[in-house]
Amino acid sequence: MEKLENISLTGRKKVLEKKPMNFLERIYLPSIVQGLAITFKHLFKKKATIQYPEQRREFSVNFRGIHSLKRDEEGRERCTACGLCALSCPAEAITMIADERKPGEEHLYREEKYAAVYEINMLRCIFCGFCEEACPKQAIYLDGDIAPADVDRKNFIYGKDKLLEPLLK
Amino acid sequence: MATLFIDNAPYQVKEGKNLLEACLSLGFDLPYFCWHPAMGSVGACRQCAVKSFRDEEDTRGKLVMSCMEPVRDQARISIQDAEAVGFRAGIIEWLMTNHPHDCAVCDEGGSCHLQDMTVMTGHNYRRFRFNKRTYRNQDLGPFLNHEMNRCIHCYRCIRFYKDYAGGKDLDAMGAHNHVYFGRSEDGVLENEFSGNLAEVCPTGVFTDKSLKQHYTRKWDMTHAPSLCQGCAMGCNIIASERYGELRQISSRFNGEVNGYFICDRGRFGYEFVNSEDRIREIGVKGKPEIKDRDSLLRTAAARIREGSVLGIGSPRASLESNFALRKLVGEDNFYHGVADTEFDLVNLTLRILKEGTVRTPTLPEIESADAILILGEDLINTAPRMVLALRQAVRRGPGEALSARMNVPLWQDAAIRQAIQQDKAPLFSITPYPVRQDELATKSLYESPDDISRIGFAIAHAIDPDVTEIKRLSDEERMWTAHMAAVLLRAERPLIISGYGAGSEAVIKSAADVAWALKKSGKDVRLSLTVPECNSMGLAMMGGHRLESALDAVAHGHADTVIILENDLYRRAEKTLVDEFLQKSRHVILLDQVYHQTAEEADVIIPAGTFAEADGTLISGEGRAQRFYQVFVPDGPVQESWRWLQQLAEACGNRTLSHLRILDDFVLEIAKTCPQFEGIEHIAPPSDFRIGAQKIARQPHRYSGRTAKEAHIQVSERKPPSDEDSPLSFTMEGYHGIPPSAVVPFFWAPGWNSIQSINKYQIEVGGPLHDGDPGRRLIEPGDAHTPVFFAEQAAPFPIRPDCLYLIPQYAIFGTEEFSVHSPGIASRSPAAAITVARADADSWGLRDGDLLEFQFNGQEYKLAIQTNQQYPRGMGTLPIGLKGVPFMDLPGWIRLKPVERS
Repeated sequence: MEKLENISLTGRKKVLEKKPMNFLERIYLPSIVQGLAITFKHLFKKKATIQYPEQRREFSVNFRGIHSLKRDEEGRERCTACGLCALSCPAEAITMIADERKPGEEHLYREEKYAAVYEINMLRCIFCGFCEEACPKQAIYLDGDIAPADVDRKNFIYGKDKLLEPLLK
Repeated sequence: MATLFIDNAPYQVKEGKNLLEACLSLGFDLPYFCWHPAMGSVGACRQCAVKSFRDEEDTRGKLVMSCMEPVRDQARISIQDAEAVGFRAGIIEWLMTNHPHDCAVCDEGGSCHLQDMTVMTGHNYRRFRFNKRTYRNQDLGPFLNHEMNRCIHCYRCIRFYKDYAGGKDLDAMGAHNHVYFGRSEDGVLENEFSGNLAEVCPTGVFTDKSLKQHYTRKWDMTHAPSLCQGCAMGCNIIASERYGELRQISSRFNGEVNGYFICDRGRFGYEFVNSEDRIREIGVKGKPEIKDRDSLLRTAAARIREGSVLGIGSPRASLESNFALRKLVGEDNFYHGVADTEFDLVNLTLRILKEGTVRTPTLPEIESADAILILGEDLINTAPRMVLALRQAVRRGPGEALSARMNVPLWQDAAIRQAIQQDKAPLFSITPYPVRQDELATKSLYESPDDISRIGFAIAHAIDPDVTEIKRLSDEERMWTAHMAAVLLRAERPLIISGYGAGSEAVIKSAADVAWALKKSGKDVRLSLTVPECNSMGLAMMGGHRLESALDAVAHGHADTVIILENDLYRRAEKTLVDEFLQKSRHVILLDQVYHQTAEEADVIIPAGTFAEADGTLISGEGRAQRFYQVFVPDGPVQESWRWLQQLAEACGNRTLSHLRILDDFVLEIAKTCPQFEGIEHIAPPSDFRIGAQKIARQPHRYSGRTAKEAHIQVSERKPPSDEDSPLSFTMEGYHGIPPSAVVPFFWAPGWNSIQSINKYQIEVGGPLHDGDPGRRLIEPGDAHTPVFFAEQAAPFPIRPDCLYLIPQYAIFGTEEFSVHSPGIASRSPAAAITVARADADSWGLRDGDLLEFQFNGQEYKLAIQTNQQYPRGMGTLPIGLKGVPFMDLPGWIRLKPVERS
């Protein structure tokens, strides 16, 4: 009868026997040569990495990068500060302050309200894209780059200065 | 009770209601627009259709509007019937054809009844491909924004504004697809209850303009159950905050106090909380380096210990704060920071209510009064919400009679209103000058306060001969007193209203006599006496000395240090007196919220929390104790006055407050040591109250941006503040169901994002909240069966040459200290002028706008006058408390300077 502690419940247990090494194994040289052969073989193979940031990979069409706040074809801000992106954000990383468009500002803002302040905490953002999905005004897209690294946490609070699409001249 | 079959399941419902109310009360989600629990049914929107079946065999049934059909026993209806569902979907699609898809920029979005109902009926895709009709919007003044394109023509706005609140400048115009709800031209909506349109309108046609200045969605604000501090009515409100700024006030249903509605002072008068004039920092004269709590407490305590100290309480500070001050300075050194006349009036009021035989009315009791007598009160300016209730009261009597005669239920609003026409229950208003309630009155008289009291006593005498007879009445007065007495005696539930408005004790006493006389003759009478400020009643109940004695004490060197609690003494006594008082006091320590004249003179300024930053208890004019809760924790040293005073006492080595730490401790201590406040510990759940081990969340579960909204200050999130004073939490963590009624931070139910979700919080629709309407009445009349009548024999009002009897006048917009910090309210303030009878002005050779020079209490004044033909001779009114009007302890005789004729 087998010992109780040796009975495997899954039936997949393999009992390993520790055999003493023979002479060839003890001098290690064959194993070293074998290993070096693999290393040298890779010198002639295609590289798995690229030279980032000089070289860049092509993003998938679904890639979600840094957000950008969009303008319409006349260069007016599309965002109306309705708050749905913030509402849908699972990381609670978006906040905004709404303001009313004043007469004479029609060339700046598409609708009668706009976001005077729009901030995303990129440290909190998980790039899920829910904000993009929720936006009824096609004003926010995660079509930017990978969020850049920084040493100061303050620089991860992205305001309109970083998010808003530049005006095309 | 009747049995109602809804989709073949039997339910027990109340008879006399309509099907819509019954369905909603049972918890069914049935869409509606034009029906409102306070305003009844008109069947205008066709949205609440259900299928009604004749009997069990009837399988076809017919569509009926549930709001127009009364509940009948054994009636069978179906909400789920395919035809009814289809009909409702058709109606909403129809209503939506012209509705702009502008929810993203609409202020109503997220708290919109139209959004909720559209989702509820399942109208998702628009099939209408044509141009929408558009309107021009109007500028409706500082309170409301107008966006007619969003209108779905439910007629609720004019049903509230015109029919319910008696407004005259909003109407439905045009026809067919072009009906327009607005004024005949741009201009300020005049009615004092216009702000309720923002809640009554099911969509975004009328929205709160003050919210627009700092717009935030309902789901993004932190809400708290609060109390309006604008007058002594004690209306329940919801105060909402984001980014450390108070952003909106909305009404919080309390069936006993304010129902669904509040006045515009309450709704728009909150902006002082965010004002530039707020006291936010600690200030010690000559020591600008003192900026933190500890060093301030040390400095202030050193000054308090230096010599004798006296404390001046405030009718606008909470019960807890006044109590803490009284404990700190000792009972003998506690003075009421109110004008001496006001002190007497409020104390008299309290005595009448406590020792008399008649109780004060709740809101439903006012609305069900069948004969009303108002003595000397300009109600729209002293207790605004009461006028709205009186409007319903005068319609109710004739409405009930007609309803019984025509066999039409009372909630059939259009039919009943049409039948009533101009018929009114008797309301007699005897005031010193023309007032708003005149339009409700069957008879208005304008008399001087002396004469008002004489008429009051005469009415009481006519009811009960035990009241002293009034001599020398004119024939007209005699006729009217006899008539009014007869009408009051015919009524079953008469209501007598008086108060501080006329500034006369005799008027209040005469009102009490009338009420007591009616009570003695077996009537179910109520007596309502207004008091000036949100906690005037609480302060009077607490007891203390009058301000005059505080001034004396300092003048005679009996006090070195003065602690002033939330008070501007320049609004309580004449300037010269206050100047002297503040100069003679060695140290003046002021705890307040907003900078004012007294703050200029104070040596130590301590920033106190407003109702948005503090918890506390207030006693309304009705004698109802209610609790208000902090909305947010402000940055900086601002905290509740009672907490400051407790810390101050501790720093002074005064041990009387050291066992009190949180609000509950204070409340329990007050209830224990002051028998008159017994019961205030039960008005709201204690701070350790939990539902399922959870606090009640102040923020909706959809609150957004918590990791971002303070990131510009500090990237790593700060620990959210904890609230040890209340069962509410400052974040979205906590219980989101229906909490006890006293701590409802906001109204929301699944599928019901707008304020209409109140339905879900009520036992039955339109009825009290679950577990009862909040608050507890502390003043009940004594059990004396035979009242001791006041025996006063005032002489008829004398008209004295070169003199004028000046009485205070109040204005809903303007004379209240804090609400004028709202630009909208300030813009509607009346002129700073004395109003006199035209005949008087003519006799002095003065015209509107001329300056009147006069002496009062040895001081010289110069003020503009305006004339009014309806004023009694020899009497004038002055809006006390208005900007630019010096304080005078009115009423009183002023001596006119002879006018130099050019």
